[in-house]
Amino acid sequence: MQKINRNVVLALLSLTSLVFLLFQLCYYKFYLSQKNGAAFSKVRGSLSGQDSTRWHVVRKFLGLISSHNIPVYLIDPLVLGLVDKDIEQIRSSPDGPSPECKYFCAPRDFTTFALLDKTWKHEVGLFRTAEKMGFQWLKIINKDPRLDGMDDLSGMEIPLHYIFKLASHAIHLVVFYERSGNFLWHGPLRLKQHMDRKFVPFRKLHFGRYPGAYEKPELLLVSIDDLKVQIPKNPSSFLEEISHSRFLECRYREARAFFQLYPDDSSLDAVEFRKKAKSLLHLAALTLNNLGVKFWLSSGTCLGWYRQCNVIPHSKDVDLGIFIKDYKADIIPAFQKAGLPLKHKFGKVEDSLELSFQGEDDVKLDIFFFYEEDDHIWNGGTQAKSGKKFKYLFPKFTLCWTEFVELKVHVPCETLQYVEANYGPEWKVPVKTWDWKSSPFNVQDNGVWPIDEWDNVIQIY
Amino acid sequence: MDEWKPNPTVKPHKKRSWYLAWKYKLMNQRALRKLCQTGAVLFLLVTVIVNIKLILDTRRAAYEEEEESAQDYDDEMLNVEVPRHPVNNKKVLDVEVYSSRSKVYVAVDGTTVLEDEAREQGRGIHVIVLNQATGHVMAKRVFDTYSPHEDEAMVLFLNMVARGRILIFTVKDEGSFHLKETAKNVLKSLGSQVAPFLSWRDMWTFVGKKGGEVYGEKHAKSPALSTWGDPVLLKTEVHLTTVEDAECHWPDTELNRRRKRFCSKVEGYGSVCSCKDPTPIEFNPDPLKDNKVFDVPVAVIAGNRPNYLYRMLRSLLSAQGVNPQMITVFIDGYYEEPMDVVELFGLSGIQHTPISIKNARVSQHYKASLTATFNLFPDAKFAVVLEEDLDISIDFFSFLSQSIHLLEEDESLYCISAWNDQGYEHTAEDPSLLYRVETMPGLGWVLRKSLYKDELEPKWPTPEKLWDWDMWMRMPEQRKGRECIIPDISRSYHFGIVGLNMNGYFHEAYFKKHKFNTVPNVQLKNVESLRKDNYETEIHRLLGEAEVLDHSKNPCEDSFVPDTEGRVYVMFIRMEQESDFTTWTQLAKCLHIWDLDVRGNHKGLWRLFRKKNHFLVVGVPASPYSSKKPSSVTPIYMEPPAKEEGAAAVPVVAAAEQT
Repeated sequence: MQKINRNVVLALLSLTSLVFLLFQLCYYKFYLSQKNGAAFSKVRGSLSGQDSTRWHVVRKFLGLISSHNIPVYLIDPLVLGLVDKDIEQIRSSPDGPSPECKYFCAPRDFTTFALLDKTWKHEVGLFRTAEKMGFQWLKIINKDPRLDGMDDLSGMEIPLHYIFKLASHAIHLVVFYERSGNFLWHGPLRLKQHMDRKFVPFRKLHFGRYPGAYEKPELLLVSIDDLKVQIPKNPSSFLEEISHSRFLECRYREARAFFQLYPDDSSLDAVEFRKKAKSLLHLAALTLNNLGVKFWLSSGTCLGWYRQCNVIPHSKDVDLGIFIKDYKADIIPAFQKAGLPLKHKFGKVEDSLELSFQGEDDVKLDIFFFYEEDDHIWNGGTQAKSGKKFKYLFPKFTLCWTEFVELKVHVPCETLQYVEANYGPEWKVPVKTWDWKSSPFNVQDNGVWPIDEWDNVIQIY
Repeated sequence: MDEWKPNPTVKPHKKRSWYLAWKYKLMNQRALRKLCQTGAVLFLLVTVIVNIKLILDTRRAAYEEEEESAQDYDDEMLNVEVPRHPVNNKKVLDVEVYSSRSKVYVAVDGTTVLEDEAREQGRGIHVIVLNQATGHVMAKRVFDTYSPHEDEAMVLFLNMVARGRILIFTVKDEGSFHLKETAKNVLKSLGSQVAPFLSWRDMWTFVGKKGGEVYGEKHAKSPALSTWGDPVLLKTEVHLTTVEDAECHWPDTELNRRRKRFCSKVEGYGSVCSCKDPTPIEFNPDPLKDNKVFDVPVAVIAGNRPNYLYRMLRSLLSAQGVNPQMITVFIDGYYEEPMDVVELFGLSGIQHTPISIKNARVSQHYKASLTATFNLFPDAKFAVVLEEDLDISIDFFSFLSQSIHLLEEDESLYCISAWNDQGYEHTAEDPSLLYRVETMPGLGWVLRKSLYKDELEPKWPTPEKLWDWDMWMRMPEQRKGRECIIPDISRSYHFGIVGLNMNGYFHEAYFKKHKFNTVPNVQLKNVESLRKDNYETEIHRLLGEAEVLDHSKNPCEDSFVPDTEGRVYVMFIRMEQESDFTTWTQLAKCLHIWDLDVRGNHKGLWRLFRKKNHFLVVGVPASPYSSKKPSSVTPIYMEPPAKEEGAAAVPVVAAAEQT
């Protein structure tokens, strides 16, 4: 009897233990999935085994914004990467039901969307509806860079990023603004003091580490994973843009300080020169962009941007840099077609190439070609009458976008090093007399061109 | 997540205990078995307890997490609210009010909210309105009741203040000379004992609640006509009410939230803050079909005249085809109240640190505003420029939508303006008629981006040059012979009386009788005829059909134009060269139109209406249209008045029409 009793007790206890074990497991699962958003039952049979939370959050979010008529588009690099692989199929059947959840079901912390600022009205209603739907949201605002360059204007701060969080998934909504120079800009994501740093793992976000500049994308309405969503028409080129979209704002404050020290030249000549330099730069940018040649502001033009956010009126020319690997034989004819005749050509593609085009009224466009070595980058110079060669050394740099005279152009991201290499530590002091052979800080003699090559490497028109 | 750590270690133990129990049972060692069984039971019990505890823990943790995140959200909202309702537990305010000949001040709880000791300024009755719940200053006004009509303005203002607000009055210098019976009665109804007997150079301070108790009043009589009353200092206490009592209970909507924020901060805007029947702040005018200016940014240039701005924005937002998203208000200076007005209407506003002084300050403000506008809307080809003291016609955008393509296509155009300098009640007639003029009227106009970016911005007058921006824009170096398109009947109305270049007399003489279109959806007539060459054809056609008036009569007399309607008449005046406006100025003077400088001309031709007839004035021989003059007609010459007479006009001449 005792034995039975004992066994019964044992059985009972193990039963309760089992029950508790099961209960614990269930609860654990419930708790975990609640953190992940178990509020959703598994609607889509085909999704079993995959995390449908993300799909549901994205669907809810798309519902939310379409109920407020806000046009957003997908810019999530991971999803776009997947979409890009099947782009033909997606384009051809924009409405077809998808057999499985391919794009929005990979478990991720975020899905990223873009919003064009001018297409919505900053309605507060959106956020109220979002809250009703269960979203938590975070708004990141900051100064309006379009007013940054203006003396003494203080506008309202503008929203740069929104994050909508539901269960374990967050939607990162990047706000894009149109900037002078016909491009789109998004701001950096910087948390203010009182903000919740753990709202989402901010470090993992794809956008917001730096401000970025993008072309205005053409959009395409597609249906992926049974969700209707706008995507950039050409995902691969958009993905390519993301990788080098970093944008540098001009240092307006420093420029203002510079002008305090050295008042701007507002003489008629200076105004005229700036106007011509600006239109020459616009023409050059148009020509090179059409050819697909990447270029950046170099020498004096770069210094003007970095130091005073404007063209230096006494510089008398416009300087651009191009990596020699991007050289194309069509460059010269393209410029000639654009109305800029070749003035001189020094060096050759293999060594010290430099082109100079004649703009309107004595304003010259100089294009220097840059050669990459293991630990530095250099470009060459040639003195026409002596055949002497010069070499200008720069530390390695990458390219960033910036806005300059209503144009989206590249500048070296490491601008200070670039400018200092070229102009020395005293670059902040304007110099009116400049000798390209001796004044630059980084010039080196580089021998002499062999006489028999002169015809080829020194061409003056 | 820490709570979860024990879990994985628990499960394997349990399994092992079962296994052991069976193993020992098989071994059939009683004592050991018993021990093991007890151990197993104990272990199971512990497992159960641990499990229960775990469940409780996770539940609590989950709750806490939820609460935490909710709190974070609340915090942020609270932070936003804080500046509006500073923690002020004090229920009593100490108020000090000082009145004297040369200085007035008001201090609330030790903070000076008004101090005026400037010479030759601030004469009259200073009024301050405080919020009865927070003690915030909601309005500050001074009414120069030494001068006529100012007391009427004061009555108007006091009537607009909501019941329950705290009113503070103090007199500087003199405040009784033109303080009429009505005004005195209003002050009496507020509880003042002294106001009805306030007399020449008396000093007076008063603190009271509108429609409620009196907190204090002090008065010093002037002993003689030539001297002032002794300075008086009133110290008193004001009891604050609760916030709920001070606010209206409007339904909780986004609009009413804006309204509430506005009404708890400022006073003097009348029915917008009325509890019972507040006037709307959203207007939803009809959209325009095929609106060509929907995407054109609108820059509203403002200073510190919030009441003007309020009136202006109301009319702007009521105009058909308005797109509030494109409107930016640029405020010259860090003034709070204009910004409050901007926020009330849900528009965006930008403040500008003042640079330089007087005209140059206005000019720098214009430059910053225009540059910022094109920065904010980089796609825009045009910008509409408005000022805070303009009423905007209901068909303002319709007028622009119909004419803007001309500015885009016709290089000889400088601007499109909503203002006809010569369009007075008695000289403008046809809302569908447009003119080309060589002058830049401003007062509601459209600027082409390329003109601004390529020409004007780079050489805009620098801060040290005390130039009027509009005068500068009218200079030949800038205008380069280009013309503006204007309507016969203005689409804007200049109501500003206070301003840099403005005063009551000037306004009455030149702006009050200006005609202003109130007809919606006017279809403009023959817009294509405004193109450069077409316009010449049109003028020649007009001159061809025009009847030559009797040049022996006095052109100033009404009888100069026959009592007809809808005819076209022409007269010829003497104009030796292009810059000879002697006769025109005299004619303009006697016709009571703009005569301070030459406006509204096109190649020596002026077009206006008299007695509902189109009336053309041609300057001979400078105008190319002189050829239309019959040889028998001698151009009329009018002599400028003698010097002394002219001198009276000098101060006015110096003033520009823009303020």
